[in-house]
This record gives sequence, structure tokens and C-alpha cells, in this order.
Amino acid sequence: MIHFTIDGISVEAKKGETILTVARKNDIYIPTMCYIAKTTPCASCRMCVVEAKGVEGFVLSCNTPPTEGLEITTNTNALELERTNIMKLYDVNHPLECGVCDKSGECDLQNKTLEFGVSQQNFSTREQNRPVEHWGLINYDAALCIMCEKCVHVCNEVIGDDAIEVKFGGYSSVIIPKNSQTLDCTFCGECIAVCPVGALVSSDFQYSANAWELKRIPATCAHCSGGCSLEYETRHSGINAEDSIYRVKNNFEFTSLCGAGRFGFDFENRAPKSEAAFSAALLAVQNCNAIRFSSMITNEEAYILQELKNKLGIKLFNEDARKLQEFMASYSSMSGKKHYSGSLDAIKQADGIIIIGSRVSSDNPAVRYALTTARKHNGAKIVYAHPIEDVLLGNTMTQFMKYEVGTEEGVMALLAREILRDADLPDEERAFFDELDLGYLSAECNIGDEEIDFMTKSFQRAKNCVLILGDDVIRHERSANIAKLAAMIEKYTIFSLVVIPNEVNSLGVSLINALDKDEAIANVVGYNAPGKFTISSLGGADLDIPALNQQEGTFVSIDNKVLPTNVALAFDGYTLNDIAFACGIKHETTIECTKKLGKISGFKEMDFDALENFFSPYGEDVRGYLLDEVACEISAKLDPIGALPEFNGTVIYHSNPVLQFNSYTNKTKQLQKDSTLQGSAQFATVAKISDGDMIELSFGSRVMKRVFKLDETLKGTIALNPTFDDVIDASRYKYEKSKIVRVVHE
Amino acid sequence: MHKEQFNSRNVNNGYYLVDIEDYPQDGWGKFKRVVRRTLRGELFVGLWVVLREMIKFDIHTIEYPLEKMPIGPRYRAVHEMKRLWESDTERCIGCGLCEKICISDCIRMDTRIDENSRKEVSQYTINLGRCIFCGYCAEVCPELAITHGGEYENASEQREHFIMYEDMLTPIDTMKAGKQLEFEGFGAITPHEDERVKKTPLAY
Repeated sequence: MIHFTIDGISVEAKKGETILTVARKNDIYIPTMCYIAKTTPCASCRMCVVEAKGVEGFVLSCNTPPTEGLEITTNTNALELERTNIMKLYDVNHPLECGVCDKSGECDLQNKTLEFGVSQQNFSTREQNRPVEHWGLINYDAALCIMCEKCVHVCNEVIGDDAIEVKFGGYSSVIIPKNSQTLDCTFCGECIAVCPVGALVSSDFQYSANAWELKRIPATCAHCSGGCSLEYETRHSGINAEDSIYRVKNNFEFTSLCGAGRFGFDFENRAPKSEAAFSAALLAVQNCNAIRFSSMITNEEAYILQELKNKLGIKLFNEDARKLQEFMASYSSMSGKKHYSGSLDAIKQADGIIIIGSRVSSDNPAVRYALTTARKHNGAKIVYAHPIEDVLLGNTMTQFMKYEVGTEEGVMALLAREILRDADLPDEERAFFDELDLGYLSAECNIGDEEIDFMTKSFQRAKNCVLILGDDVIRHERSANIAKLAAMIEKYTIFSLVVIPNEVNSLGVSLINALDKDEAIANVVGYNAPGKFTISSLGGADLDIPALNQQEGTFVSIDNKVLPTNVALAFDGYTLNDIAFACGIKHETTIECTKKLGKISGFKEMDFDALENFFSPYGEDVRGYLLDEVACEISAKLDPIGALPEFNGTVIYHSNPVLQFNSYTNKTKQLQKDSTLQGSAQFATVAKISDGDMIELSFGSRVMKRVFKLDETLKGTIALNPTFDDVIDASRYKYEKSKIVRVVHE
Repeated sequence: MHKEQFNSRNVNNGYYLVDIEDYPQDGWGKFKRVVRRTLRGELFVGLWVVLREMIKFDIHTIEYPLEKMPIGPRYRAVHEMKRLWESDTERCIGCGLCEKICISDCIRMDTRIDENSRKEVSQYTINLGRCIFCGYCAEVCPELAITHGGEYENASEQREHFIMYEDMLTPIDTMKAGKQLEFEGFGAITPHEDERVKKTPLAY
């Protein structure tokens, strides 16, 4: 602890904190223009200057760490004059278009100009022609840009796209796309969020509404398991129409949001109320043998489904959550606890990270951003083990460990053996590792000793390590053994574990529901899933229910946190609770179940209305609550590793393009819907197809038609098959041997 | 962020019933009400005022509609949408402040980006059936685009007939003839305004 004073108030600083962060923590105001808490200070605005006793001139508080006994003053006349002069420079030739500007009302420049009372321009500069750039979902108006460089820092340090840079030129400096004519990035839109003025704006939102007209609804993103916090902003659309969501904003100071969350908000279900459909649905549910449902539901819906199961004696099918449930059960039987220990914050603070079996940049962007943060801020060593290289992780990962498709179990055993080399293992487990056939595993997985040695060497100094496991291992046929190995790594080393659940609430469903193995039986009601009678929020179903932006309830995120979400848009029809009510399960509202969750799997007995959903001004996360740890019985033993499976020929990998996750993101207006099969040149040669061909793709019992697109960045005989447009069975292993036939047009 | 708005699941839009005396249900109650209303002394107060003015023969009544009173510039009748003197285009920039400030929630507008990347007002309506003519919209308008005019004679079978943007906008031929009346009420430009403008130095 470092003790010093700011304006006569004695304060304490931890190691690594700057004068500015300490001041903010103690509610002492220092104005800034370019500072953003989640990146390293770029020190371009010089507004945060303070005076330190005994130091000549001003000190930049944003990047100066305090020393013991330092005396800081934040508000002398000299400082006020300095800051006012900076504001005058910011305002030079800034277009006076506040009346139409999208940012007006929430603009940093507007606020600070009024704060410092800059009412006139005493000097001038020749204005230059700065045309508005159109970059797809983003528009950039250089005339409004104040060159704070927040966008560049966020893009590089937090997102990892590194797609924009500053073109230096004094007063004519602008932001330009890096190494490209137009912006070529994943379109997370984080640059829009952090822009303090109206220079970077969403092209869809531009000029359609103003900050003061929009109603803000705090919610949780409903696209992946990242559980990102966001605010839906709604307003009436047109002059007589209903409300609609105009845009999504996030607390950019402390959190990040991917493009799916930011631009993919219009997935609401607009179906009218139909009593006939409700009676039919009630009859169908009462007479069904099973309900098949997806994980894109709230915990409360999952709870009601479980009650329906208990009451009506039906089966519940959800293969996606069941696979995760099995995986976590196997993990618990080895680790002795219900939940894995890691979180996104743990990843952000880690300095050694291994990722196995996940294409994170499309599976879970929140994890990718956490990885980028760890890499840029802690210099973390990141080992990315996957059969397919990911160009988006190019700058982030420090080592790419390419293994053969299907050999995840072998990879896990090899890595576990290395990581647990010096651990104090029980004899039985030690024997398992001693008996491993290293030669065979290494050859089959295609991971050499030198790769493992390199990893060990780079992790030598690491103090906070995280192991991240993705869908490839959860859905692997030997996932139980992989889970046990992961549990051992977590138990005996400094590694914490993060498992990436597939869908938004796979984790919640897996904790709440007792699931049955899916089988082709008659009379299955589909709840957001295929069935004989369908109840769905996607539209066009037998009974329409509200989508996740029209519901209140909770999700369980990747952090094992229970996060609340609120109603952004009204829904007129029926919900699952109405069906349950008619079946004799009496809840007044769906969210009554939030409290009832309390008896299972570490949920707390908390009312929905008691759950908070915001970040404190100091960045403290006060959203929902963390699941309690639940002790489990340790009973598992490691299975010996048998022959590893082999995948040859035209192998496809079920993986969505970035920003697409499921049928809901597919419904949105702004997100790009690229449903082509993207394959490597090698894949094209083996399958005898070329770029742009229409092909017929068959795997297992499925046949589908797609256009083939050659992707030069892919290596190996592999192609990526998107799943967002045609939801495939979620329990499938993500790699598949496929047959490909070119469709010849006549 | 306050949570009250989300925690309140009352969907009645804030409407409530006014506390008024119950209507009489039976004949005796109705009879009592008739008697009470009939024998109220207030009737004779009114009759006396009429009789007194009639005897005086000093009548102020103007013969409307043949005669009309002059309307002051700050009178708040039906809204007008003004055009720019320079270009004859509409002054409204679509900032949405009138919509936001309107206390009877009768203004609705929709804006979009046009082909020249400028903000365009695509729809604008004032529901005069709801409007209470408070004048806040004219007061808040940063461009003097929406003002109140002197036109108070409206008659139609439908209130919806009073909400056309085209009717409020200065007709283009009036504009071309230079006959748009400038608003002189609150917020209007004062005489000699140009002398107070601080100009940006252009020496570079």
C-alpha cells in the first residue's frame, strides 16, 4: 500500500494503480477525454493533469503511479486554465451540428465544453475536406473526430482485431483502416461504443433517434454464454407503430460487447395473440411423451419445464445441455465440486492460458476479448490447441498447437501429463500417466515433444494459469475422461478451469433440468426446438412465445453467475407459465421461479427483483449473483486411453462465422449471413470442387446444399460448415466425415 | 439505474379513475338530485348578470364571424412549421426535442438518414386532439421551426384531420412570395441580434 494525499485527503493506492484511478475510487474528480479504464492510458488528451508538490510542471495523473507521501492538487487556477485551453483546442472548427448529431445529449465534448464554459473560438485554422467514410455497419465522420484514440486502443488491446490506426498528420490526423482500403474486421462495434463524440456511429442507427428519446433497459445478451451486460434502447418506431429496439449500448468503460450483441438485437417475436393456438398447445403438452427444448431459454423456463416433467411424467430432451451435464458430472466426480473455478475475469488476469477444442473467436467472443486483454496487458502466454488455425487469434496466441481431428483425449492426456509432472498425485493417478503410450499418442495427435517443451518453458514464470475447454471436447465421445483429466489439472496445479457452454443458457439448463437421452419417439412437443407440435419464439410456430428480449428471467453465464435480463419489448401472447398454470403448476409470474431455483445446484433463494444489473462507477460488477459451490462425492477413476479415432478425407467442422450463433442471430437485419461452406484449397482439391460451386453436402444422415467458398487462410483438408441457419443436432461431435458432390446446373 | 420501472408489473399505463360521487341508482335518489340541482340559488346569479347588462345597453360583443379580434404574436393556436428564408427548405432538423418535451405526448416524429447523408424528417405529426397548446414545443425548438400561429378556427368531423404536417408547413407559394410571417413570441430573434454575434477569426 502506498499512502499519499489528493487535495489534502489521504488516500491509499495498491501496486499498479495510477493517481487517476485512486482519485476516482475516492470520488475526487479529475476531468479526462481520452482515458478509458479497460485499456492502458493513451495519454493523448492531457486533460488529467495535476500538480504534485515538489515536482516542476504538471503531472499526467492517468499514467503516473503515486509514490509514498506524495501531495497532489487537482484544482488550481493554473490547472483550470490549462484544461480550458485544451478544451478550446478540441472545439476548434468542431462542426456545430449538435442538433442532428447522434451523440448529442451523451457527448463527452458537449459536456466538457459546457463544463469549461468555452463559448467562442478565438483562433482558427483552415478547415479541410474530410468526407464521411462508410465502413459497412460503421460510419466514420473525420470532421467530428477529436483524435482521442480510444477506438484504436480498444480495437488493439481489448478486441484484438487491430483493424484501425491513426494516420498522423497534426491537425489533419484521421483514423484509417489498418493495411486496407476499407474496414476489414469482425465488426464488434466497440469503437462506436467508446467514441466520445459522433465520429464513429452505427450506420443503421445514424439519424434515426436521439439519446434523449430512447428508453434504456438493462439486460444480458442472449446470443452466447458470455453473459455480457448490455442495455437495449427502445422507442416507438414510426409515428403510429409499436416500440422497437433502436440500438444496444454497453458500459464500455469496463465491459466489451461483440457485434452480435451490439447489432443483432431485432430477434423479437411479433406474433399476435391466439387463443386457439394456446388451447392446442395445452392439449399437446398434456398428451405428449416428451418435450424437446433448446438452451436459448431462461432459468425460470427451464424450472417450469422441469416441473412439467415431474407433474406430467414426461421426458425432457436437450442434447446440448445433456452433453454439458455429463461432462460436468464427470468433472465433479473427480474434482469433488459442482462448478469449475475459472471465469472471464480469471482469463483477463491470467498470464498462462491453454485453450483446447474451441474456435473461440466465433464460439464465444467474450472469451476471445478476455484472451486479448490478458495478452496485451499481462503479456500472457497463450497456447491455442486446435486442428484448425484461427487467423483472428494470430496476434493473440503465442503458440499454436495443431492436433489431429478427433484426438482431443490424447492431447488432453499429453498436456495433463506435462502439467502434472511435478504435482503431488496419488499413486493410482501417477501410474495412469506413467503407463501412457507416449509414442502412440504423440504420433496420433501429431504433437511433438518440442511443442510441449516450448509450452512448459513459456509457462515457467506464469503465476495465474487458466485452462479453457470448448465444445469439441464436451461433445467428444470420450468427453468423460477428458473432464476427469481437466479436473485433475485444476485440482493439483495453479490452473483454474473454464468450460465454454455452447448456448446462452446451456449451463443453467444443465444445472436445473433432469434430462433424458433424446430418442425418436412419437408425440414430442418442441419448445424452441423441432417437434410434432412446436412452441417457439422464432416465429411461425404452432404457438408463439416471447423471444429472450421480450422476457424477464435469469441466465447462468460462463462465469457461473446468475444474471438477470429484462423485458425490452412487450409481447402480447402466451408464455410457458400460462401453459404450466393451466396444467396446475400455479405461479403468478414466471419470475416467481427465480426464488424457487434456490434449492438446487448452488442457486440462491433470491427474488428476481432483488437482483441488480449494473456496474459501479469503479467498475465493480454488481450483476446477479455467483452460484454457491456445491461439494460432490469423489468417485471417479481415469479410464485408460484406447485407440484414438481417425478422420480422413473431406472433414467438415461445424462452426459458425463470427457474429452468428443460432437461428436468432440469423433473424436479425444487420448481421451478415454467410451460409457458405468455407474450405481450404486442399479441401477443394480433395473434394474436386472450386470456389463458388453449388455442392451437396452429406454427413451422417443429413444432406444439405451449400455454396462452396474458398478460404485462403484455412490450412489442412478442412471446411467450416455453418450451423446458424439450419440448427443441427447439438450433441453432434463438431467434426464430421462428409461426402461432397458438386451440383451441376443444367 | 433505478429498477422501479422494471419491478412494477402494472401494465395500466398510469391511468386512474377520478373520485366522483356515485350516480343515484333508484328513482328516489334521482328525484332528490333533480330537486337539489333545480333549487340551487346559482341560477339566479346568472340571470341577474344578464338582466343587468341588458338594461345598461353597453354591449361589447363583436359580430363574429363578420368581425374578428386581432391576435397577438404570442397567442398559441395551431402550430406552424416554418421554412428557411435562404433556401425555402424546411427548418426542422429532426432533433426530437419537441417530441420529448411535449407534456400531453401528442408529437411523434421519425427521422432517417437520406441519400446525401443528412438527417431527414420522414414523418411528423401533432395530434391536436390531445394538444393542450402549452407552447413548450415552440419554446424548446432550437431552430424556430415549430411555432404557434394565430389560426384558431378548426372544424371537422374527425380529430385525426388536424394532424397533417403539410397543413402546418408554410405553403411554398407563400414562401416564394416572401410572405412567411416570422414568429415574434418567446425565443424569437430580437432586433439587432447580429450585432451580438461573436465571429470566428478567419486569419490563418
